Amino acid sequence: MAPISNWVTFANPMDNPLYQFGAVYNLPYDVGYKIWQLLGGLIAWLLDVLVPGNGVSLWLVGNAVSNALALVLMIIVVFAVCFIVNLTMIWIERKVLGRLMDRRATRIGPLGYLQCLGDGLKTFLKEHIVPDKADTKGYMWAVSIIIGSSVLVAGMIPLSYRFFLADYGSGLLIIFGLFSIAPFMILVAGWSQNNKYALLGGMRAAAQMISYEVPMLVVFASVALMAGSFNINEIVGYQNDNVWFIVPQIIGFVVFMIAATAEAERIPFDLPEAEAELVEGWQTEYGGMKWGLIMLSDYFRGYVACALGAIMFLGGWTLPFVDDSFLPEIVFLLKVILLFFIMVWTRGTLCRIRTDQILNIGWKILLPLAVLNLFVVVVLKVGGLV
Amino acid sequence: MAMKYLDKYPKNNSRHLWVLKSFYTTFKQIIKTTRHRPVTIMYPYEKEWIPDYYRGRPGLVFDKCVGCGICERICPTTCIEMVEVDDAKAGKVVRPQVNVGRCMMCGYCAEYCPTKAMITTPEYELAAYTREGLIFDPYQLAYEGHNEEMQVHMHEHLLSDLQKGITDNPVNASLVDRPALDDAKCIGCSRCAKECPVGAVEMIVVGENDKGKPIKRPKFDEAKCIACEKCVMICPKDALALKEVL
Repeated sequence: MAPISNWVTFANPMDNPLYQFGAVYNLPYDVGYKIWQLLGGLIAWLLDVLVPGNGVSLWLVGNAVSNALALVLMIIVVFAVCFIVNLTMIWIERKVLGRLMDRRATRIGPLGYLQCLGDGLKTFLKEHIVPDKADTKGYMWAVSIIIGSSVLVAGMIPLSYRFFLADYGSGLLIIFGLFSIAPFMILVAGWSQNNKYALLGGMRAAAQMISYEVPMLVVFASVALMAGSFNINEIVGYQNDNVWFIVPQIIGFVVFMIAATAEAERIPFDLPEAEAELVEGWQTEYGGMKWGLIMLSDYFRGYVACALGAIMFLGGWTLPFVDDSFLPEIVFLLKVILLFFIMVWTRGTLCRIRTDQILNIGWKILLPLAVLNLFVVVVLKVGGLV
Repeated sequence: MAMKYLDKYPKNNSRHLWVLKSFYTTFKQIIKTTRHRPVTIMYPYEKEWIPDYYRGRPGLVFDKCVGCGICERICPTTCIEMVEVDDAKAGKVVRPQVNVGRCMMCGYCAEYCPTKAMITTPEYELAAYTREGLIFDPYQLAYEGHNEEMQVHMHEHLLSDLQKGITDNPVNASLVDRPALDDAKCIGCSRCAKECPVGAVEMIVVGENDKGKPIKRPKFDEAKCIACEKCVMICPKDALALKEVL
């Protein structure tokens, strides 16, 4: 009978021959691997105590099972981090709005931090209602895809050079592509609810998001052009080596922030759910936990927008003049929260604008500015200044 | 300067940059409300500061009250009723009872009380489980720790005083009226003397009638009188009326 230290070894995951990430150390994978080595090792030791010399114990702590379960646990860890960041962002939004209106915002838990969990519990306890005349398949699938794609794109955001799900060469494009799935599904959701407010909201959402994706894509292009890559690691590394892109591309930053606010459907661009005219816009017929998850995925999208801003313009997880080995994830999240604070501040300051104004700003102001930004980048690149 | 330029070219798109001014305003607001706590008061746990002369529910100083009924008549919502109580010290007396469910906390009863027995208390948490619980009898109306500031007695300068050059004699205008007798109507029944709550009416024999019975007429002690109008209302022949003393 082997002692417990033979089973719970806490081995280095990079020694596993099935390690997926090549030569790069992956923090969430390591956490998942260590959790499985603790749990699986304990189970294997117990089995070994009960039935000495069985094969199941060896199989449980073997390379293949460890790798597979470490990948599952890694996904859970990444999602948990996203979720906690999201709750923090909702808390920040409610607190800052409360301060803006000279009232005390959230109250449950320490500093009101647990209010979102209370609201989530409340929506969770509500009845699941599907409208009688609604197209049930479209109704359920659309909301599933909206929520799923929002969570997926939030999980795709790397928090640092060691905290990522996948390190693609075209990471920025993949994130942008996943980010653009939701608008079409919002149109489907608005259509399938068989409700005029929902349909109007869905159409507004589609019009607004499709027109704001154009300047956003041009800004993405100028960032990728300046960095010479779509890989997020390389974009951040290029900024760390040279200069944060907010300095040469300040126009692009402003255009990106406005477009991202519109993409995340936040005030002043929250026309799709203009609660004064359209009840709750395209979410009108969604109730209970579906609505709660839609609200949560709205914040996931807000998080993605702010994270992209931090990656593309604020140097990601690096700091200038400082050794960037100290907790890069925290540095990155602080930058994200700074950008999110600007979004909340905007929400507390401005009023909602009209549909024609929203499209005018998108096509007549933001698109020329984005092209101007691209032009600046081309001139700098051709002139060899960056 | 910049505004002038923008007014000259109203179609210039950079006009819209003035939206940034509101960002500055709201940022100042965030700083202000973060440094000082928000104005919200968490009511059941925190209570608001109560100013002097706060008009909560009416209170009564039982010993000062003479039961004249001015409060009952002045009350805009008629929530005050004079009830007879059997007091241990004073015997059977008439005292006000207040239905605070109807009371609108105007404090008129305290303003017009001639003996300053009605007061306004700072109590405002008056919820009760039944409607009967909202009716405060004269003993419930008592308020521990009442002080001068709760007697919100009305003070005015009379026009007649000002014409005479007197400026240091503020009075309650309705309490300076005094009853006047129409001698021809009086039958000398002395009900006014019995009704007067402060004993300001005294029946005086002014002569004899044809049958040798004494003719009585009321005499009013103007210093004691509180102008409660009770004698005027009780008079069977309308011989009394309140007249302003100029």
